[in-house]
Amino acid sequence: MGISKVEPSDAELVRRVRTGDTGAYGALVSRYRDRLGRYAVHMIGDREDAEEALQDSFVRAYRSLARCDDPARFGAWLYGILVNRCRTTGARAARRRRMFVHDAQALDLAAHADQADRLDWTDAVDRALARLAPDYREAFLLKHVEDLEYEEIAELTGAGVSALKMRVKRARAQLQKYLREAEHV
Amino acid sequence: MFEREDETVERVIQHLRRPVAIDPGLDARVMREIAQAPPQRRRVKPLWPLLAAAAVLATMLVVRPWNWNAANTSDTLQFVLVAPQAASVALVGDFNDWDPARSPMRTAHGVWATVVRLAPGRYRYAFLVNGVEWRADPSAPAAKDDEFGTPSSVVTVGGRGT
Repeated sequence: MGISKVEPSDAELVRRVRTGDTGAYGALVSRYRDRLGRYAVHMIGDREDAEEALQDSFVRAYRSLARCDDPARFGAWLYGILVNRCRTTGARAARRRRMFVHDAQALDLAAHADQADRLDWTDAVDRALARLAPDYREAFLLKHVEDLEYEEIAELTGAGVSALKMRVKRARAQLQKYLREAEHV
Repeated sequence: MFEREDETVERVIQHLRRPVAIDPGLDARVMREIAQAPPQRRRVKPLWPLLAAAAVLATMLVVRPWNWNAANTSDTLQFVLVAPQAASVALVGDFNDWDPARSPMRTAHGVWATVVRLAPGRYRYAFLVNGVEWRADPSAPAAKDDEFGTPSSVVTVGGRGT
């Protein structure tokens, strides 16, 4: 019943961009910015660097759109560009240098009675994540936070599925250990 | 032991899955940047750039010999505003006498865009949304010298850019 908005598919938007409709790329940016932005922020650990990486990834993808062989899988292709871009940002060092309150929601916690505890928890998770090796952090975020299948992660990262499972397992154990050290367990 | 570990990690995962606020100006910055670099398409025949350069050089020498040393070339700029709720958006500025009819913007899924060719110089501009609402460009420097008191932005052509 009623009227519902039908969003054009990735493949349709990519087709439009290739025929010169720049605005269609804006729709792709809007579609993927939040999800990819979350990955970049957690992976890099610094919001400014993460947004720079995200912006750069969108621009690189646009310039290389001719190389997107399967427009229906534009999202996965774009993820691959961002994953590579995050690797080159020197994530670990940047993350250790600058800890931050990592999203606007955290800033809104002032209204909550448990503000101090939750900010502590946010900080503890940030620090624990920062201590992971970049390839452990990458695998953990892609698997558990971005909810990708191991086969998809293997395609994005170039690592084998068994190696990825090992990284995720070790990341989980190390997070537990680091949080225990920070007395948040 | 395992249950406790799973519980902790699950709490971490739920924490990390919360939305992260990304700068709303990012979309416009991306669109502005890609407007200056079209996607790769077919390879250009090698001779064409040389011919084009020769034509430009000849034109400059014939038409503006007095400006030879100036970095004085026009730019084609795409102006972009993300406004999903807008019914109409027009680009207005010093370059079109602030006339909304001269630079209407076209939309695709809430991203409004128009292309304007500008000679070197400094221009103030703004977006006129729905014919009544003035908006400055969120991804450009704000104009501090607007005598009308409405928000506006600045673009510089032939210098440092925006």
